[in-house]
Amino acid sequence: MSDKVVVGSIAGAFGVRGEVRIKSYCADPSAIADYNPLTLENGRVLTLTLLRPVKGGYAVRLSGVATKEEADALRGAELLTERERLPSLPDDEYYHADLIGLSVLDTGGEELGHVKSVQNNGADDLLEVHGPGLSTTVFVPFTKAVVPTIDLTARRIVIDPPEGLF
Amino acid sequence: MSRSVWKGPFVDAYVLKKAEASRESGRNEVIKIWSRRSTILPQFVGLTFGVYNGQKHIPVNVSEDMIGQKFGEYSPTRTYYGHAADKKAKRK
Repeated sequence: MSDKVVVGSIAGAFGVRGEVRIKSYCADPSAIADYNPLTLENGRVLTLTLLRPVKGGYAVRLSGVATKEEADALRGAELLTERERLPSLPDDEYYHADLIGLSVLDTGGEELGHVKSVQNNGADDLLEVHGPGLSTTVFVPFTKAVVPTIDLTARRIVIDPPEGLF
Repeated sequence: MSRSVWKGPFVDAYVLKKAEASRESGRNEVIKIWSRRSTILPQFVGLTFGVYNGQKHIPVNVSEDMIGQKFGEYSPTRTYYGHAADKKAKRK
């Protein structure tokens, strides 16, 4: 499990008074402010204050950024937070960040691949599984019947796929 | 203009045949279909269909609230890889 999670990125300066336009990747975009303090890839720590929604994101004030030039210098930087800062979830709910990268085994213990992404088709969540023996990725329904075991500490899930899925 | 009620919902005949065969066999299998235009009928509830999206078959586990929709609505033809951030998935 990676200890940092990307929750947004800096799109550039907003106006000439040191305000910054950010893009939030959170499920609820305004929740990005709940994960303060945020860090950049170079380790710099920033505190974010949401000002107002603007086209393509939010106008924010970042600690230590007072001018347009300082804001422009941060363009493209990703905003990270510690994985531990994400609230704990009830049983059978998982963060995509925790699921992506897990090894996928079948009930016989044979490795099928790893989780590439988590998608939703409008009905169920689907795990996109990619592996060396697969010509293309395979979508696996994220249900208790098909995915009976999820072991986040061992970084693996066991699946019991229905016939015709692989 | 909406479809006339007297015609009933449209379903490709082979989808009905495959669904019936799968229900009779009682096996846990993905029923591969290419018919995105077929309506989801009450007798499909509980079955898992693999609905073709032009590239691969996307598994769709049919539930009661999907009745009346079309299969294609549950098989997106484009994949978007956003950032995971704090997005959650629920195991049903």
